[in-house]
Amino acid sequence: MANDKLQIKKLYALSSENKKFSFSIPLKHSIRIGKRDYEVKLKSDEKFGTYILWKNRKYPVEIVRSSQNKYEILFNDISYIFTVETPFSLQRMKVLNTTLGKSEKEIIKAPMPGKIIDVLVREGSTVLRGEPLVILEAMKMQNEIISPVNGTIIKVVAKPNTNVMKDDLLVEIKL
Amino acid sequence: MKIKRILIANRGEIAVRIMRTARQMKIETVAVKTAAEPNAMYLLSADVIFDNTEEISEIPVFLNIEKLISIALETKVNAIHPGYGFLAENAYFAQKCIDNELIFIGPSPDAIYKMGNKTIARKIALAGGIPMAMGSEGNIANEEEAVAVAEKIGYPVIIKAASGGGGRGMRIVRKADEMEKMFIIASKEAEKAFNDPSVFVEKYIENPKHIEFQILGDRHGHVIHLGERECSIQRKHQKLLEEAPSCALNDKLRKKMGDMAVQIARAVDYHSAGTVEFLLDSDKNFYFMEMNTRIQVEHPVTEIITGLDLIEQQIRIANGEELQYKQSDIKLKGWAIECRINAEDVQAGFAPDPGKIENLFMPSNPCIRVDTGVQAGSSIVASYDSMIAKLIVRGKDRKEAIKNCKMALDKVWIKGTKTTLPFFRMLVRHKKFQDGSFTTSFIEKDLEKFYFNSEYEEMLAAWLATKLFIEENLNDDSINVNFEHGKVMSPWLLNKRINQF
Repeated sequence: MANDKLQIKKLYALSSENKKFSFSIPLKHSIRIGKRDYEVKLKSDEKFGTYILWKNRKYPVEIVRSSQNKYEILFNDISYIFTVETPFSLQRMKVLNTTLGKSEKEIIKAPMPGKIIDVLVREGSTVLRGEPLVILEAMKMQNEIISPVNGTIIKVVAKPNTNVMKDDLLVEIKL
Repeated sequence: MKIKRILIANRGEIAVRIMRTARQMKIETVAVKTAAEPNAMYLLSADVIFDNTEEISEIPVFLNIEKLISIALETKVNAIHPGYGFLAENAYFAQKCIDNELIFIGPSPDAIYKMGNKTIARKIALAGGIPMAMGSEGNIANEEEAVAVAEKIGYPVIIKAASGGGGRGMRIVRKADEMEKMFIIASKEAEKAFNDPSVFVEKYIENPKHIEFQILGDRHGHVIHLGERECSIQRKHQKLLEEAPSCALNDKLRKKMGDMAVQIARAVDYHSAGTVEFLLDSDKNFYFMEMNTRIQVEHPVTEIITGLDLIEQQIRIANGEELQYKQSDIKLKGWAIECRINAEDVQAGFAPDPGKIENLFMPSNPCIRVDTGVQAGSSIVASYDSMIAKLIVRGKDRKEAIKNCKMALDKVWIKGTKTTLPFFRMLVRHKKFQDGSFTTSFIEKDLEKFYFNSEYEEMLAAWLATKLFIEENLNDDSINVNFEHGKVMSPWLLNKRINQF
């Protein structure tokens, strides 16, 4: 690690939409817009909680999750997921991405805790993008969980009249 | 009998709102403390708190007619205000109040029943010559019958719950082979929500505007309207933003629709505050949709442009007073916009995001009104709706109201749950919202991105992620805790987790 540290001159934050933000190390507490550097301050107090102060404006921030090099950040009410990579790990990732294909199945999880009211598909049935799969009731509303892809149902875990937690597996679809 | 003490058969912001007016009128209030939210803010507004925390039931007390009546008798109130939702449009509850010599602050049980049953309401409107979308004569027994009606009036059609309201039990059907699935969904949802699975079918008006008229009627046969509200910004029939007046109406159309709304209210001898909802198509044809026999969530925008306090009017009418205003006394002044700030995740299709509100800061200035039932430390619990606050902003005209709204939205500070704020920040910047050409299909059809973020916000978030990574991985004097199956956790995250308990 000590050796690594000496070598690292840059870090990259990759967004879930594959946007790359690069930062030179040691990390500056400022962000450059055009030719000017604007100071970034990370603060925390009783009234506002944790926030970032930038260009005279406060933005609420929260670290929702962090696991290894992956961070979910809530910034001004919007979630961003970044993986932070060193130049070396970024290179390795590029190689891996070209050898490994894209995933072949879509896993549908409960987007919120609630109760399964109805399951509209069976194993083996084909679904089109936008077709409702499961009716999930949460906070007095019945929500249709919609297929994000075209494919064939390979697994149905959701059962009517059972309660599910957020991120519980409902259905698996083969692309 | 004059109202001296009111039982608030509700919670949240509307309970706070009713008690505010009651206090001004020197009327005492009783609120019910429940196990679901024993520290709720609305309890602070009450003169008397009835402690119902011992009762653990899956059904909220606000839906338990027998219990509410017994609380009313025990706390010696002589009136009950139902607010909105829960039992507000339950004719049996209204009748039970009367039977127990309690004043129900709302219309008669007969009016609630007739307007609550959409098939009866349709017949009443039809008899009065009110324009309406074509549809089934009465309720529909099964999907075959629904298909037959749809073939006659033409697709698309909408299946609606006969006892429905609030957007539940409604499904749009565009072709015959969707009917079976949608019929079952609508019917099941209707049974679950309203204890009545019956549904009917109506021609679906494509891309309409949702225009509703606020009605006031007294017990002496006087009915007036207080102008319209536009509530076209909705998602799955749930309103998100309302404004008054509507830029789609001119004085002539306002008068025509207003007169129709008054006529419908008269047909059921309506007294109290009520709302007549219409759909307005692109050719300015309007169609009666339904009448809501309660105070509505979006009532503040009407209060702002008319200067009236609608809760005060409800109480005066319930007291048997005559309306103090004639139609010609009602002048609409300025523009008002209401944003419903809900604990919802806009990035996850507006999924509810219940949790504890850690910090809450609402801007205050003369053009802003905030109606809320939560404060820092309150929880948005999964058993009730996800509303945090209603941000109501005024301006001398629509342009100024939007400008003020945009500024106000940037000053709202809520931490602890995700909110609909990023959606409204996007909306006030959207051309179609600004020019007023939006319809009820705006969110489904015209939007590619549901939230607003400035170009630098993502970069700042990336900076923060990088900073955390450095703290966790590259510092020798690391203060990290290895925790949870090797997950690296920053002291902040740990702090947040600890605070959640």
